Amino acid sequence: MSEKTKQERIDIDMRGQVCPACLLVAMDTMNKYRAPLLGGKVRLCIKTDNREAITTIPTTAQNMGYATRVTKMASYYEICVGLLPEENEK
Amino acid sequence: MITGSLFLIHTCSLLLGLTAGFVMHRSDYCMAGMFRDAFLFKNTFMLRTLLLQIVITMAIFEIARLSGLLPLYPFPLLGFPSLANLAGGFLFGLGMVLAGGCVVGTLYKMGGGSTISLAAFLGLIAGSGLYAEMHPRWSAFMKATTFSQNYLTLPQLADLSPSLFVAPIVLAAALLFGKGAKKDFWQRPSQVRGYLQPWKTACTLALATLVSYLLLGMPLGITTTYAKMAAMLENLAAPGHVSRLPFYQIMSLDIVHPASGAVLRGGPGPRFDSIWAIQFPVIAGIVLGSMISAILLREFTMHARAPVRQYVMACCGGIILGLASRMSPACNIWHLMGGLPILALQSLLFLLGLIPGSWAGSKIITFVILRQRSGPAG
Repeated sequence: MSEKTKQERIDIDMRGQVCPACLLVAMDTMNKYRAPLLGGKVRLCIKTDNREAITTIPTTAQNMGYATRVTKMASYYEICVGLLPEENEK
Repeated sequence: MITGSLFLIHTCSLLLGLTAGFVMHRSDYCMAGMFRDAFLFKNTFMLRTLLLQIVITMAIFEIARLSGLLPLYPFPLLGFPSLANLAGGFLFGLGMVLAGGCVVGTLYKMGGGSTISLAAFLGLIAGSGLYAEMHPRWSAFMKATTFSQNYLTLPQLADLSPSLFVAPIVLAAALLFGKGAKKDFWQRPSQVRGYLQPWKTACTLALATLVSYLLLGMPLGITTTYAKMAAMLENLAAPGHVSRLPFYQIMSLDIVHPASGAVLRGGPGPRFDSIWAIQFPVIAGIVLGSMISAILLREFTMHARAPVRQYVMACCGGIILGLASRMSPACNIWHLMGGLPILALQSLLFLLGLIPGSWAGSKIITFVILRQRSGPAG
């Protein structure tokens, strides 16, 4: 079993918030934690129910060089930015 | 023409509303967001789809007119151009960005479970009622600043056939869109469940607008009924005051439909008239259509945990939106989806005001959201 890199996780719950709060906050956080996100030390996970944000955040993050993953939860989505290389390969 | 049957009017309007609500939810077809994101994120993808919708509507309206299917052309309720359209458009742009959606965006988002949009909707009703108090003064301003009492549209002003304007615009747009289509600029990747590419929604809404014009005698519009709702609520508490307000006595729609012979009469007062019959089922349909879409996707939830500041901002935005939709007069749906395709002068001025208004709203909303932002948890 390979040793997994430890990542600090930043969780932000944006459910129910006004447009375009989700993308604004995501971009603000990605800029603030740019180096640790790129270096795999930090992962940003955003809970949202905003359909537009689920489309725009991954694209914006990928354009900024981050790997992303979108997961459908019960009644919302979780967008994770800053995946580890081994997760990326999956 | 179905204007002779109240049942058919209700059914047609409800179906149009249901369709619009469903597809708008699937694409998150938010007109406030289209203008806002162009300024805020330099993202014009959704604005392009709006342009597509306007151009398609323009083409099919003209084909219908040339085929003799539009006996009411230009359609009723259009007024003469004045500075009020420009000022109202500016306030409308500001209000829709702060409210997080326009008069229709608020409805489909509310149908999807957004409590922020519910706050904006309540603001919209309040703003529409507030306008009734200032109507005499605003009406005087509108009359004093009217540019022309003879021309409703650009082709009328130029004394030329609408086809001479529509044909080159549609041709230029076709060239632009065709060139862009090679670069896949109509499609965008999305991992959200049930996503409908916005160009499909643009086409659906263009067709829905044509159906509304053909069958009901006018394009989609809803904001006079917001004023009616305000009047009805106010009438419960202060009927004497409502009966004295000149705004609620207006009969903005008073025509005999040339095809069906039906008398269409109505205004913003607290009455169940032709405007209510046409517009209320559209409002109810948009909310229901969106709700059905959200339930089918298992996405319907009502969260009330957004920061209070956002609720206040959305409600204030709604009030501005309600006021502006009467000051313009009429909303973005009426002007952009109906008036602009026939090059109505009022709608062109409305758009000119809407653009800087949206820019101002984008600046304010960014300040409010990033300033209230609490630190990340976890």
